[in-house]
Amino acid sequence: MLRVDGLEVAYGDLQVVWGVSFEVPEESIVTILGPNGAGKTTTLLALMGLLPVVAGSVTFDGSSLIDVPTHQIVEHGLVMIPEERATFSAMSVEENLELGAYTPRARQSREETLAEVLELFPRLGERMRQRAGTLSGGERQMLAIGKALMAKPLLLILDEPSLGLAPIIVEHTFEAIEQIRGRGVSVLMVEQHVEMALQIADHAYVLEMGSIVAEGSSSEMSDNPRVQEAYLSL
Amino acid sequence: MTQLVLQSVVSGLLVGGMYGLVALGLALAFGVLKVLNVAHGELLMVGGYAAFFAFTVWGLDPFVSLPLVFIVMFGFGTVLYLIVFRYVTRTEIHTRIKNSLLISFGLVLVLQALAVRFFTADERTISTAYSSEAITIGLVRVPVVRLAGLIVAVVAAVLLEWLLNRTRFGRAVRATSEDWTRAALTGIDVNRVYLIAFALSAALAGVAGSLISLGYSVSPNIGLGWTLKALIVVVLAGLGSMRGIIVAGLFLGLTESLAAVWLGGEYREVAALVLFLVVLSFRPQGLFGRAYA
Amino acid sequence: MRSRTQAVLWLAGLAGVVAIGVVSGTQHVLTLSIQTMTLAALALSWNILGGYAGQISLGHAAFFGLGALITRELWLGGSSLVLAVAAAVAVTAAVAAIVGIPMLRFRDIYFAIGTLALGVAVFITSGNLWPGITSLPADDLRDYDFTSRFFMTLGVLLVAILVSVWLKHSKLGLGMTAVRDDEEAAEATGVNAFAHKMIAFVISASLAALAGSAFAYFSASYFPNFAFSVVWTFEAILVVFIGGVGTIVGPILGSIFFVVGRDALPSGIDEFQVALFGVLFIVVVLLFPGGLTEGAQKLLGGAPNRSQSPADKPTTRGGKELV
Repeated sequence: MLRVDGLEVAYGDLQVVWGVSFEVPEESIVTILGPNGAGKTTTLLALMGLLPVVAGSVTFDGSSLIDVPTHQIVEHGLVMIPEERATFSAMSVEENLELGAYTPRARQSREETLAEVLELFPRLGERMRQRAGTLSGGERQMLAIGKALMAKPLLLILDEPSLGLAPIIVEHTFEAIEQIRGRGVSVLMVEQHVEMALQIADHAYVLEMGSIVAEGSSSEMSDNPRVQEAYLSL
Repeated sequence: MTQLVLQSVVSGLLVGGMYGLVALGLALAFGVLKVLNVAHGELLMVGGYAAFFAFTVWGLDPFVSLPLVFIVMFGFGTVLYLIVFRYVTRTEIHTRIKNSLLISFGLVLVLQALAVRFFTADERTISTAYSSEAITIGLVRVPVVRLAGLIVAVVAAVLLEWLLNRTRFGRAVRATSEDWTRAALTGIDVNRVYLIAFALSAALAGVAGSLISLGYSVSPNIGLGWTLKALIVVVLAGLGSMRGIIVAGLFLGLTESLAAVWLGGEYREVAALVLFLVVLSFRPQGLFGRAYA
Repeated sequence: MRSRTQAVLWLAGLAGVVAIGVVSGTQHVLTLSIQTMTLAALALSWNILGGYAGQISLGHAAFFGLGALITRELWLGGSSLVLAVAAAVAVTAAVAAIVGIPMLRFRDIYFAIGTLALGVAVFITSGNLWPGITSLPADDLRDYDFTSRFFMTLGVLLVAILVSVWLKHSKLGLGMTAVRDDEEAAEATGVNAFAHKMIAFVISASLAALAGSAFAYFSASYFPNFAFSVVWTFEAILVVFIGGVGTIVGPILGSIFFVVGRDALPSGIDEFQVALFGVLFIVVVLLFPGGLTEGAQKLLGGAPNRSQSPADKPTTRGGKELV
């Protein structure tokens, strides 16, 4: 579904990502682990066309995403939920969800998708008129995911979905992610909460200092001593 | 004395309406693109000259040429965005403001010089058959052309409000204003939003210029003065708040007029400054802005 | 650039400038030099507030004009030049301190607009209060001495340079740049942001007034409110950014470029040329965001040694540091 080869990303003169390669097969959950500053978010932003790619290739469903404007990438079906939740605080829950279906492709099935999203997150249905900025952390998270789903993604990218949330909400979030995969959407997840990520992911990569240092199925990774030491506090 | 005060109140409100109209365009450009276009007043001036030209050469009444001026200035704004401001929006917010400030200063230079070249430095006013007519209400004389200007300002504000809050595009504009990255990730073509917002801001400036050349006068150097008033109004209303701009404009106009009556005409401009400092000291988010976290 | 090379270049530049003053005969060259130095001094003064402390002031002409006004009034009224200048600087500093109290509580765009409002208000009001032209008496015009103006302005520029250099390497200056880069973080490390901004504001205003007094001493006749004109602010900022904000060489280079360039345009009456100048300026800003100093440094090789300007902040998105 998504294939990244030898990706290199730089901020002006500062190179942050050095030849990263990974792939996300259809209907799978792939997670990228790694410490702060490793370049995880940078990689995601480059995928979405928000940062210039210095070298390497990014292929989604057969076509290259390099030099494609962000809104077109979204139209193709690659949707990202950034770390700061992708919601617009000044708008209501309803407006956020409606806005989620902005691209032409998403707009076609807007009513259906909305129904599905509200089924997945009934709490949102109770708060339609409320300003997004006044929602609790968990509700914002739900809205962010719901809004992203409104865009009818083929591959959903999440940047640290567990950040700043209570454990119970994190559990719900990961359950929702599994349900999303169940509906045919692939998932690429950057996570610091290694245990939970490995529980639901099929495949994992470890990114350190801008390079992939380890990869494997999630069970392989859980057993990997390096991962255990660095991330699982065992 | 009462007559003087009442007349001042009316004059202040009438010019305040113009301040508001000019501020609408500036708020749009600044709120959406986060670009500070100090040449906004020059765009106003160009619009004013366009209306003047249409009147003197083609005999078009300024209210008839208003839609024409709107379209022409929208086009002009599009061109300006594509050849200049588009490159400014590629940088992050702090640099944007600095760069746009500089670049628009350059634009001020260019537009003022060209205006002097084509229209000379003389003040021009459109004098129609009804230019000197006024409605008399009690002790007060309300010039018809200026009243019409106020009405246009209010109508423009209402239309803009409708556009921003009741249309899909308007929602995209608001999203882009809040956070352009989030907007892009939502599938919004941010560049197109920027383009249209900027062109619209130029069009609004042009319309204001048209009304000003009818109700007041236009000359090559009026730009910065109007830009400054607009800036103050935008800040008074609350950065990022489109609502209440007309009201803030009226407030400014009124304060200036009354200051001129009580302190003397020479200190009129100081009123704007003091108002600015006082309001912001007590209410940093402006009169209508939301106190964002 | 290595500091020894720098020092040599500075001395060479200074020698060259003095040579112009002493040796050169032509009024034209002297006039251009004086105008350049005045603008450079004003630009350096703005740089202290805008480049070091990061507070973008759009009303700087207010202080320039005030310095010019007081110097002119006192000097033409019979006081010695030194006294007039000293008074101008002192009064302007005091005014800046008073104005700064409310004004410096505003940040970023609010501060910019507030100072712009100040500048324009003062400009228009000064025009209302002093509408008449101020001219040197006929005797002085006849015996007009360029050399003394040249060296006075040079002195002003040197003061501006020395203050800038001293500030740049002082703890005070460090505090200012800390405030510029991140006010909250600076406060957290014990830097009193308001105090630093105020000091920058007052020093900046004083130097602007000094530049203004050079203008007042040099000019034969002008309308007093001209010295308050926003054009001065614009030119100072322009020149700082063309040359490279936050540097000391920048404003000077930029001033030379600007004044000489403007003069090179054939008898500036033709508006097309002014317009062209504006276009060129826009192009320069778009192509060289770091200004001439960055361009020159890159040509001469070696890392830029200027203190970081806001443009150098690592890319953020919506204010959040990216990992």
